[in-house]
Parts: sequence; C-alpha cells; structure tokens
Amino acid sequence: MTTPMIQLSGVRKSFGSVEIIQGVDIAVEDGEFTVFVGPSGCGKSTLLRMIAGLESIDSGDLVLNGKRINDVPPDQRGIAMVFQSYALYPHMTVAQNIGFSLDLKKVPKAEIAREVGRVSELLQLSELLDRRPAELSGGQRQRVAIGRAIIKRPRVILFDEPLSNLDAALRVQMRAELQKLHQELRPTIVYVTHDQVEAMTMATRIVVLNKGRVEQWDTPIELYNNPINTFVAGFIGSPRMNLVPGTIIGDAASQSFKANAGWTTRLDNRSLAGAVGQLVTLGMRPEHIQPATDNVDLEATIAIVERLGAETYLNARNGDDTLLVRAQGDLALAPGSTVKLALNHGAFHLFDQSGRVITG
Amino acid sequence: MAGISEKRSGAYTFLAYVTLIVISIFCILPFIWMALASIDSNAQLFLKWPDSVTFDHYTKVFAEENGVRWFANSLFTVLSATFIVMVVAGLGGYALSRSKAWWKQPFLYAILLIRVLPSTALLVPLYKILLTANNGIGTLLRPLVGEHYRSVMQLFGFIDGYLGLIIVLATGQLPLALWIMKVFFDGVPKDYEEAAILDGATLVQRIRRVLIPLALPGLAAAGLFAFMSAWGDFLLPLILLSSPELQTLPIGLFRAFLRVNEIDYGLLAALATIYLIPAVIAFSFARRFLVQTFSGGVKG
Repeated sequence: MTTPMIQLSGVRKSFGSVEIIQGVDIAVEDGEFTVFVGPSGCGKSTLLRMIAGLESIDSGDLVLNGKRINDVPPDQRGIAMVFQSYALYPHMTVAQNIGFSLDLKKVPKAEIAREVGRVSELLQLSELLDRRPAELSGGQRQRVAIGRAIIKRPRVILFDEPLSNLDAALRVQMRAELQKLHQELRPTIVYVTHDQVEAMTMATRIVVLNKGRVEQWDTPIELYNNPINTFVAGFIGSPRMNLVPGTIIGDAASQSFKANAGWTTRLDNRSLAGAVGQLVTLGMRPEHIQPATDNVDLEATIAIVERLGAETYLNARNGDDTLLVRAQGDLALAPGSTVKLALNHGAFHLFDQSGRVITG
Repeated sequence: MAGISEKRSGAYTFLAYVTLIVISIFCILPFIWMALASIDSNAQLFLKWPDSVTFDHYTKVFAEENGVRWFANSLFTVLSATFIVMVVAGLGGYALSRSKAWWKQPFLYAILLIRVLPSTALLVPLYKILLTANNGIGTLLRPLVGEHYRSVMQLFGFIDGYLGLIIVLATGQLPLALWIMKVFFDGVPKDYEEAAILDGATLVQRIRRVLIPLALPGLAAAGLFAFMSAWGDFLLPLILLSSPELQTLPIGLFRAFLRVNEIDYGLLAALATIYLIPAVIAFSFARRFLVQTFSGGVKG
C-alpha cells in the first residue's frame, strides 16, 4: 500500500473546555477528492484549518506525504486553501491576486506573468486580469480564488465551503468545473461542505463528521447504500431516509417489524431470531416506498403532495409515523386521501437503540 | 387636489430654503469677514467691503512677524502627533479588534473616558508629570550634549520642547483614533490575513502588503480627525511652550490679539486665514475616506 497524502491519527482539538475534534483518524490518498461533510458545528472546518496550519493540533499526528507536519508553518506545507469568502485582496487586480504568492517569493516578474497566464487560461480568466475583485461576479471571484490556490502547484488544495455564497444555478456549474479541474490537474483535494449533494456529486470519498467524530468514511455510494448508523443514514441522501421507530416481533422462524404506530412489515432474508423483542429503528429510502395495489404493506393518509413532473414526493402519515415517498412519474393524488404503500423489503436498514446498524 | 398640495409643498420648500439660507449666512459670516478683512487695507472690527485690496497683511505675517516659524512649528508638531496617532491606533486598533482578552471592553471604555474628561481639569497634574519627565531627560541629556543643551531640549524636552507637546497632543487624539481603527478592523475579515499566511507572507509582509492597504480608509479617517483636532488645540501649546521660537500659529494669533497699543485686524484676519487653510486641505483630501469608513464598507 502506498503512503497516503494526508494522514490524521488520533487528532484532537479543544477550544476552552469544549472538545471540538474528538480523535479523528483518516487517510487521504494522493489525487483523491475527499469531502468532509456534516452539520454546522461538527468540526469539519476546524479539521480543515488544522490541515492548513491555521489551527494548532492539541494531540495526535498530522502526516503529509510521510512527513509529520504538526509544527510546520502553513506556507511550508505545500498546501493551498480556497476560503468561503474567497478572501481576494480588494486592493489588488486579478493578476496581482493570483500572482501574490509568487511575488512574495521574489519570483522574477516575467515568470510570474507566465504562470498567471497559464492559470488564468485554465480558469478562463484571461480577459479579467486587470480588474479588481469588486468588479467581478461571484463565479469569477470563485475562479480567481482557485487560481490563487493552484498557481503554487500545491500537493493539496483545501476548500472551505467554497460554493455556499453562490446561487443555485452557479453552484451546479461550479461543481462541474471543480470536477473538471480535478480530473485535469489531479491534485489531492480536501473539501468541506454541509451540503450532502455537493459531497455526493464530487467526492471520491466522503468523511461524515458529527460532533467532532468521524461517523463513517467511505465512497459516496457505499455511504448511501450502507450507512453504519442513523446519523449517516439521515444525513446522506436527499430527500432524507425515513427512520421509523418500532420493535422486532416474531419467532425463531420468521421475524417482522412492528412500528410504534401499529403497522407491521415482514423482514426478509435476515437472521434476526436473536433480536426478537428488540427496540429498533427501520430505515427506508423514499424511493423504496412506492404506491401500489399488490403486496401492500401499509395504508397512509397523504398530507402533502409535491409534483415535480418526473417524480412525485408524497408526505404520508400513518399514526405518528410520517413517511416520505418518492414515487416515479406524476401522480395526481389529493392531500387527505388514502394511499396504499408497498415497501422494498430488500432495501431495509435496521438500527439498534444506540443507532448502530444491525447486520444479519 | 394635486394643485393644493403642490402649492403647499412649494411654500414649504420656500420656507425651508429661507431658513437654511439664513443659517448658512449666520455660519459663514465670520469666514467672510475674515477673508475680506485680511485683504482690506483698512480693516475694522465690523464687516465691510475692503477700502482697497492689499496683500500687505499676509506679507506682514511672514516678513515682520514670525509667521513662517509659527506655521512650521504648528505643522511639525501636529503632523508628528498625527503620525504617532496613526501608527499607534493602527497597531492598537488591530490588536483590540482581534484580541479576545477579558479586559478589552473595560479598556475601550476607559480610554473613551480620557476623551470625555475635560483636559483643562487635568492640566496641573499633567504639567507636574511633564516637568518631572523634563527634569529627568534633562539630567540624562546634559552630560551627553554639553553646550547644545538648550537647542536639544527644545527638540526633546517635555516642557518648552517639541517632544512634550507632540506626545500630549497625540495622547489626546488616541482614544477616538483607537476606536475608529478597532471598529474598522472589526469589519476586515480574518480570511485576508489567513490567505496571506498560506500565500507565504511574513508578519511584516502581511502588515505592509495586506493590512495597511486594507486599513487605509480607516487610517485616513483617524489621521484626519487627529490632525484637525490637534491643529485646533490652543491650550496645550499655550501652557507647554514658552520660548518665542517654539510658538505655534494659534499662540501667535493669540499674542498678536493681546498686544496693548494697537489691534491690527487685517493682520489678525490674515493669520487666521493662514491658520484655516491646512484644516480645509486636510478635510478635502480625506472626505472620500470618511465616507468609506463610516458607511461600513470593505465589501470586497
């Protein structure tokens, strides 16, 4: 196995009496696009700033390309960072902003101009080099910020929620551009976002963080298909996974799930004989619940209908349980009416009371 | 209906303009008197059109009186004080903005208190402190400079020396300047500095290439306030300076007014006009920075 580009082992960090990072172990391979995702306050930005060297590390090791860099100053780590606010120097032109790091290193003017030219061409900024940041659109500023990062030819580029200041359409476009950039230059990227869609679409691997801990760390599709706990199950995927509290009932031969609201469904292809009587949470993705006429598992009352054309989201209630249904096609159902629902038994996720997944 | 309201608003507008014009005339009259009297060959205490236009008063200020010296003294002390204020307020305002120390708020209000207290009330203890400091530095310098003692003390003395006046002037202007810079830096995101750190900028480079350009509007505003306020200060140079060759413009003006035999209104007006000019120039330079600073704008 090759040495990972970035390795964090047992990394911890406290602000005052609050432990923000509670022992993180991850490794980022060379050329990987890793995304740290989690709700606000989960420590993802702090972790990124620790890699950048903008925050100190209380304990644990940060290893970059085989070398421990806990105490190496930020500018000597070979790391570049794109800030959420872009932090473009307002008194400098685009060219000066991009070339600033080379200028500080006393690189000859001609060489700076050549490098700025190379980067600006790559990012389609050649026309804007003489402008100041205030004269640029949000997307252009974003590209200047990226240009300032890649001109140093860093081994690692860190992104701190770089798309959160852009409108929805521009965000989709920048997502594509970032992926293209990653494919062309192949840098190691660590990217922080609270938006799981950004994480799913761009990452080669996702680190799901919550309250300063790594909840799960895997490829996007693996996180989607096999979340190891209710937090990851609820966080990854949009719309969210349905999480229904209930009990496992049955005998040694066959088991079923009985929701607290009263409805039951059988649990196929699982050996849960030992778990009978256990309080559990049943997780079902919205696309795994469909309106049906055969093999109906439960009936529910429709509360909200969202018709998107290609698919329809139903918010359906059965007792205290609210189920989100993602039905294919356009369904003209009226709120208040009853709908029969069939569940995809093969796609069930079961979690125990502590929220951990039950296999078997 | 529209006609009535139009008429009414017309009358209101007329009334408003009349009021504003009256107030404006009231405000501008002293300046007009000053300007006219300064070029009037027979200037009097009342407002009148010049008998004949002459620049003799200005010539007199510079040729017969010590006008050049006074002007230079004023400019030197006030500019030095302003420079000190800008440096200290720039660094201090930055520190106060970024610090999370518990004493930050109490400190900020305490320095504001300095500004609120009338400095006249503190004059006697201030003089006593400066006198002690003056004796101290005198004892220190006398063996070093020997025969040049007097001229050196005019530069570095705390009483009857430039240094004392400069420091006290600067101290008086610092609280407001610190507040201006603190509030200004509050509006400058830390991201700029962190980006510069990652770009490989040293502390000095960060200050010179990033922070000072970003802080320029704030520094200009703080410096302008310090300059205008120190330029207008009369009491401190009056108390602290006694040598004629150290006199500043306001003191020269004051002494000219106090002369027993004759009051030369033309000369006084010319002096006052000269005294006004730097303040007006400073204001016109810094006006655009003021707008930037106080409309809260470093939006990038």
